[in-house]
Amino acid sequence: MAEIRFHPGGLAIESRGVRVTLGDTQVLRGVDLHVPRGKIVALIGPNGSGKTTLLRCLLGLQKPDAGEIRLFGEHIGPKVLKRVGYVPQRLPLDRSFILSVREFLALRLPGTAGWFWQSHRRTDALLRDALEGLDLEGILGRPLSGLSGGQLQRVLIASSLLTKPELLLLDEPTAGVDRPGEQSFYELITEVHRRHKLTVVLVSHDLSMVYRHASRVYALNGVICCEGTPEEVMSADSLKQAYGIHVTPYHHDHGPGHHHVH
Amino acid sequence: MFTEAYMQRALVTALLLGPLCGLIGVFVTARRMAFFSDTISHAALAGIAVGFWLGFADPTLPMVAVSLGVAALMLWLKEKTDLLTDTIMALLLSGSVAFGIVVISLLKGFRGELHRYLFGDILSVGPQEVWLAFAVSAVVAAAVAVRLNALTLLTASEDLAHVSGIPVRRLNYAFVLVLTVVVALSIRLLGIILVTSLLVIPPAAARNIARNLRQQLVLAVLAGALGGGGGVALSYRFDLPCGPSIVLTSVALFLVTLVASRLRRASGKALRSAP
Repeated sequence: MAEIRFHPGGLAIESRGVRVTLGDTQVLRGVDLHVPRGKIVALIGPNGSGKTTLLRCLLGLQKPDAGEIRLFGEHIGPKVLKRVGYVPQRLPLDRSFILSVREFLALRLPGTAGWFWQSHRRTDALLRDALEGLDLEGILGRPLSGLSGGQLQRVLIASSLLTKPELLLLDEPTAGVDRPGEQSFYELITEVHRRHKLTVVLVSHDLSMVYRHASRVYALNGVICCEGTPEEVMSADSLKQAYGIHVTPYHHDHGPGHHHVH
Repeated sequence: MFTEAYMQRALVTALLLGPLCGLIGVFVTARRMAFFSDTISHAALAGIAVGFWLGFADPTLPMVAVSLGVAALMLWLKEKTDLLTDTIMALLLSGSVAFGIVVISLLKGFRGELHRYLFGDILSVGPQEVWLAFAVSAVVAAAVAVRLNALTLLTASEDLAHVSGIPVRRLNYAFVLVLTVVVALSIRLLGIILVTSLLVIPPAAARNIARNLRQQLVLAVLAGALGGGGGVALSYRFDLPCGPSIVLTSVALFLVTLVASRLRRASGKALRSAP
């Protein structure tokens, strides 16, 4: 087991009574969330449960109407966001914008900020040092808009790691990724977690991914309706609270340990 | 052939504004702001009308002021109402054009002026326009060079830009400011109707053959220079309206790069399928 950085008394994420109303809908109705440092955790909930809104609050993209959020004990602002890496589900990229993987990654690394003026070889050498183990060298020259879902995800994770975050937030990381891609995603995340000793939050509607990879699960449905180990949260009662009464987790042909909500 | 002073002024201005439009056009097209820029340029017609009304000999100032006002109104309506962006822009575009034409019709003696602002005119580039084009090009090119990474990340994803500590709102406003000034300046050469084309066609031509952003930026600047300079020369040589000449030159350039990219792709396929 790798050594995990743990700061006693300091939580990675701490929220109290967070409320957000969008239009006429009360999306978050008092979210209390306590995420310890150094673990891989999952924030799950069905569509419309407020996952995305809560994630936007954590990133400072949405101001709560009431309540308070702290990351590493600090109010959300540019200072603490420097310690946060964000991996969006996709980029709203236009095909007319032909940004290469190399250029996109170079934007975030201080040493390659002058990518426009320096040679590809120099940029690649600096990126290679920073991206050890991420296996991106073959696609550095490819345009971002031409990547597969899995490749784009790998690039987005790499980009978020360049600023050496202590907290990594991933939005629906397995959406748009095929089964083998999902497997390599988990290997990557486990490796990243082991190597960089950071807190990883997987935001997803997909319970199957949570089950095997998160050490703690938070189920959201306007409020945090249950939390605990994956086994605790997967128990039918608490899931019913999160997903409504018609859902039962059951095993099917994905093999042992994989659960889907139907 | 470029011995006349007015011709030299028009050519120099085109060689400054063409590349500048190509450069910021890369970001304008990637951020799907072409219609936005069209709205700003049409708002300039209202500005020109106001300028004539108030007795300005040179309507540059009211033109920039009204365009900026309409741009600000556009951003404000987008933030404060539930109206679709397209609806807001169509409303402001047609409103400004209608206002401008009504005012110019009511004023006596400006109808002839209208034509040159609609289609561009090399005769209308005075010495102060050249200096203005030079100053704006220098400032904007320097600003883009300094903020290239922030602007690129903003174009790729506003959310990522925000999380990376980039002041998204401020940068967005600054970009709109720059766009408005560049559009208002380019109207002299291209005319209100066609000015957006210089923001769209050179980046598109560059996109055809570029493999990454660096190449696209460099090629768009070159295409802007060729389109602007070539168009002014054509306009002079054949006594054509300046705006359409620039646009047709740029379109020709676009077609050349399109054919080049097809040929390259075809030869790449042939190479791969060769035994």
